[in-house]
Amino acid sequence: MAFVSHSQRDPNGMYTFSSRPRAVENRSKYREPPQEQSHINYGNIMYDRRVVRGNTYAQRIIPTTTQPDPAEIQRQQELRRRAIARKQAREQFKPKTPEALQGRKHIDVQTELYLEELSTVIVATDTECQTDAFLDRPATPLFIPAKTGKDVATQIEEGELFDFDREVQPVLEVLVGKTMEQALLEVMEEEELACLRAQQRAFEELRSAEMAEVQRLQEQERRHREEKERRIAQQKEALKREKEITEKIAARAYTQQYFADLLPSVFTSLRSHGYFYDPVEKDIETNFFPWLMDEVHNSLEKRYTARELLDTIIDDVTQKRLESFKDPEPQPQETDK
Amino acid sequence: MHMRHFRPRPLQEIGCAALSRSKGSGSDQLRVHMSGSVVSRTRAPVAFGRRAVPRLFEELRDPDPERRIRTLNSLCDLVHDPERLYQTVTGGFMDQIQVLLKDENQAVRRKTCELLHLLTSHSLGRQSLLVSSLVSPLSQLLDDPSGSCRTSIHRVLNRLALLPAGAQALLPLVPKLMQKLKEDQEDQEEELVLLLSTLSSCCRSDAVPALSLDGVALLRHKLEHQRTEVRRNAAGTMKELSVPLEGKRQICEEAVIPVLAALLLDEDLEVQTNSAGTIMNTVILTEGKRQVLDLDVVPVLLDLVSKQDQDQNQDQEVWIRRRSLILFCLRTLTSVAEAPEGRVLLLDQVPLLVHQTQEDQDQEVRRAAKTALRVVTWTP
Repeated sequence: MAFVSHSQRDPNGMYTFSSRPRAVENRSKYREPPQEQSHINYGNIMYDRRVVRGNTYAQRIIPTTTQPDPAEIQRQQELRRRAIARKQAREQFKPKTPEALQGRKHIDVQTELYLEELSTVIVATDTECQTDAFLDRPATPLFIPAKTGKDVATQIEEGELFDFDREVQPVLEVLVGKTMEQALLEVMEEEELACLRAQQRAFEELRSAEMAEVQRLQEQERRHREEKERRIAQQKEALKREKEITEKIAARAYTQQYFADLLPSVFTSLRSHGYFYDPVEKDIETNFFPWLMDEVHNSLEKRYTARELLDTIIDDVTQKRLESFKDPEPQPQETDK
Repeated sequence: MHMRHFRPRPLQEIGCAALSRSKGSGSDQLRVHMSGSVVSRTRAPVAFGRRAVPRLFEELRDPDPERRIRTLNSLCDLVHDPERLYQTVTGGFMDQIQVLLKDENQAVRRKTCELLHLLTSHSLGRQSLLVSSLVSPLSQLLDDPSGSCRTSIHRVLNRLALLPAGAQALLPLVPKLMQKLKEDQEDQEEELVLLLSTLSSCCRSDAVPALSLDGVALLRHKLEHQRTEVRRNAAGTMKELSVPLEGKRQICEEAVIPVLAALLLDEDLEVQTNSAGTIMNTVILTEGKRQVLDLDVVPVLLDLVSKQDQDQNQDQEVWIRRRSLILFCLRTLTSVAEAPEGRVLLLDQVPLLVHQTQEDQDQEVRRAAKTALRVVTWTP
């Protein structure tokens, strides 16, 4: 960007500023963030050269037309010289066409039909304009913000326009109908199952009740039967016992009868066997008689011995007689043995 | 439907679907399939018509678990329709489901269990489930670390056990279920409810295995749980357990009757019904009669029987449930009347029973009341 602005001091000492017209810079729409600006633009007022220092009521008024000081003039001359030097330096750095090669020469050639003067100075005309005086400030125009975003266009074709409510009705009917059908199917299924289960349960309960009845009757039967058997057994027992008793009675009667005359016969036999004895008699018998018998026996013994003795004596005598008879002659035998 | 001339173009497919309202195939497509694109982020796109189910099953082989979850979501939606269910079951996809049950991703397993749960809502699905021997992988999944997966499994087993053949098939699982009952934890109430309900269905078909594993003692503990559903199901299982003779004896031994008598005064109708049923089964035994008379339960039962006069204008379902309660109470009273002390107590109540015999609406109740009357006024 070529700064073609000059700010210099007028010969009067006034500060002037001029610059070439230039296009407005393409600045961003919004301000820079405030800190930067404040950094740049904000300066301490105490050190600002533009601010007047000291008291203002007795300041020297700068005369408008004064002779410039010789120092002032020198300084300005210096400035001028420096500006010219700068310009020359700048001219030096302007690119120029390079020197021609050996054997060649640069020639200016007219290519265009018309001659054109090339100059850096652009022909400019001054124009002035001046607003009309005493015109009111016009009203601010309506602020329409710039358009952002993409432009999109749409076009409704033939046949795209339709009334949703009317169109959706058949679809909705079908949807709802199918869902209801499905739901009805499931509900019927469940109901069927529940019905079956209820029926099954009712049947089961009836069955349990009937089974209980059957079992009760069975039990009753069993009990009756057992009772009956017990009674029969009891009865048999009773009968047996009765029979036994009758037998016993019969046996008793018989034995009684049998042994009716047992007692006398027993007594008789006992008496006959000598179990009832008179003690004196017995005593006589047991004690006296054996002694008596023994005595008798003894005496008889004596008698027998005596007799025997006698017999032997007699025998002896007869023997002797016999012998005496035999010896003289053989006589007829005497057998008086 | 009156079509306008200018119809917006992208929604044309909906119009076609509306025009061609086919019997089953289009109905559940709408939620899932609008112009072939994905409507909801959680659902995979569904092919049209007959190709829907096979295509989804092909997509299930995808290694990415997110996609599998989406496909499973769509499958779950589709299977509500019986025709799709039939296609799933007969198309030989059950073994693929079996593979999915062993998947590492917990959400996939949970969704597969939900799919199975939907399958069991139909008899064909249940049968195919029983046939395809999915019971053993399911029982392995019972030990799954994730809670929601276990809950879904319990739901499947619960539904399966409602079928008599299913209950039979689940009988080998009863020891495992009893084990689960033993090691019950605090935060698994939902599972507990479902577990007890499954157990009651299994015991309905055969109560002996559960009895032999100390079922009565375990259930007695559960009868005092705070939550109503747990009590209800525990009482129901107890009722099933009390049907065989061994069960009755065990109940008398373990002193369960006091607990049941307390439950008769519970607010919930179901709990009352179930405990009345258990008592009804138990008093058949002489020991039970004695205990019941000792605990003075008879006035409670009489009260329950006579309370139904006030609720004449209740709706049908509640009335049906009350009816079963009344039936059970009447049968219990009949059994109690066979004991001499019980008969003495009930002879005073003969007018009530007479009234019941004539006035009640339901034929079963009348019959039961007649029997009770007969037993009470029986003389040798």
